Amino acid sequence: MSLVRGSFKALLSKETKALFSSTIAYAVIVVFLLLMGYSFTATLFINKSASLIHIFHQAAIMMLLLVPVLTMRLFAEERRAGTLELLLTSPCREIEVVLAKFLASMAVIVAMLVLSLSYPITLEVFGDPDWGPVYSGYLGLLLLAGALIAIGLAISALTSNQIVAAVISLGLFFLLWMLHALGSLLPSPFDNIIIDLSLSARLTPFLTGSMYLSDFGFFLSLIMFGLLASVRALARR
Amino acid sequence: MAPVVVADQLTKQYGRHRVVDKISFEVNAGDVLGLLGPNGSGKTTILRILTGYLQATSGRALVAGFDVVTHGLEARQRVGYVPEDVPLYSNMFVDEFLTFMGRLRGLEGKALAIAVDRASEQLSLGDVRRLSIAKLSRGYRQRVIIAQALVNQPELLILDEPTNGLDPRQIIEVRELIRSLSEQLTILVTSHILGEIERVASRVAILLDGRLLAMRSLNQDGGPKLRLIVRGSSVEAVQTLLAAVPGVMTSSPVNPNSLDDGSSVYILEVVDLAVAEDVARALASANFGLLEMKETRTDLEGLFLGLTDGVAA
Repeated sequence: MSLVRGSFKALLSKETKALFSSTIAYAVIVVFLLLMGYSFTATLFINKSASLIHIFHQAAIMMLLLVPVLTMRLFAEERRAGTLELLLTSPCREIEVVLAKFLASMAVIVAMLVLSLSYPITLEVFGDPDWGPVYSGYLGLLLLAGALIAIGLAISALTSNQIVAAVISLGLFFLLWMLHALGSLLPSPFDNIIIDLSLSARLTPFLTGSMYLSDFGFFLSLIMFGLLASVRALARR
Repeated sequence: MAPVVVADQLTKQYGRHRVVDKISFEVNAGDVLGLLGPNGSGKTTILRILTGYLQATSGRALVAGFDVVTHGLEARQRVGYVPEDVPLYSNMFVDEFLTFMGRLRGLEGKALAIAVDRASEQLSLGDVRRLSIAKLSRGYRQRVIIAQALVNQPELLILDEPTNGLDPRQIIEVRELIRSLSEQLTILVTSHILGEIERVASRVAILLDGRLLAMRSLNQDGGPKLRLIVRGSSVEAVQTLLAAVPGVMTSSPVNPNSLDDGSSVYILEVVDLAVAEDVARALASANFGLLEMKETRTDLEGLFLGLTDGVAA
């Protein structure tokens, strides 16, 4: 077992280093924080309320746009350069390769969200925010990012073209996000089934401070599904 | 001692197309087996099955006694693999890459540092170790990819077309390296170039269209051989003349009609190389054109062309 852990550590540090030594991670973080900072300031001065609901909603949309940028190259690039062959013929498991890429991408998102803590801290200094929705909002964003990264990885594992991976991920993310709009047009019971699959319908309770076990389960299932689909996509060769 | 590689009825099929068709062979410890075949004959697919990158449609493969499917980790732990396209992480430094590949194979701490040093020395990487992989020349890239395969001292080294895209001096270096490595480990090497395989392998397997046509040992071939290109009135006439020269034991035309200018290639088995002069004189007196004559190690060319012609026809 110690052998497997060693190779996983090697993979994880390689992926983290690759993401943080490229400009991609920094571009994603900087763009995210700039836009968030802008809306945070604007809504704060207009609404004059110590709440982050608007910001969280916008952060979620930003994730739909930025996660494909993070995940598009993860497998597509290895496949194009042939290094995937090097990884998969070495004594490590496919799931280790997938998990290393997943965790490294999550590290970028965590770094981004940690830096964005400056907004709630500002609110705390100058006002009296309700911390409940802040905690649950951050948790919701993390879960959403996890699900998007896992699905984005699976899509990246299917192609050797980064742009194709990015475009398909982007399309799928927005479709999943807006699924509730389609659901409301359908007759019962299909309306509820479709609405239940909508990312935005599942995320909204987190942003308003209510956490349901079913929403947790939904995001965790999506993460599991994405990771397993990535392993399957790698096995298909 | 158990063979290091056992391929048993390996078959790989994509849809209806069979890329590898019921191939069986063994490689014993210390052997250098050359897989020889034209492009598209299934060489790379066989290597990818042995390294666990592809799964065979049917059949079984063992590496160092481990089934590559059911005990993939153990099998892959014992193989160093050099893919044909020289895939490298161009964002890494040479040392960083070798260290990463060593850790991936379970090496840690001091053992890892020693292993990376040893592999770098074996491939004479020298100062290049501190360079970014993106800055390396083709020759050094090839060295780095071989070094990573050796980093954990595998039992089996698999090289896919290791001399492709190298300049003549680098080709000789890689050949020398394979020869020196063959004293320590078992090697499986592919090429579509006959001369490459002849120079490094102790045994050769000839492949065409996914099938194994022949398996031949290169060490136990009889006497010295001459390879001739002769232009004559007919292949039969040339052959009769050659067979009549004293000292020529066997003569065989390699490709009766395939050279464009009407000449043909012949391989002669002779008692000793001095017979070459008599052969030249005999041909000249019969007014046949001797275009080329040289010593050759094996009659592999005849075997190869004979087998592949027969199948193509």
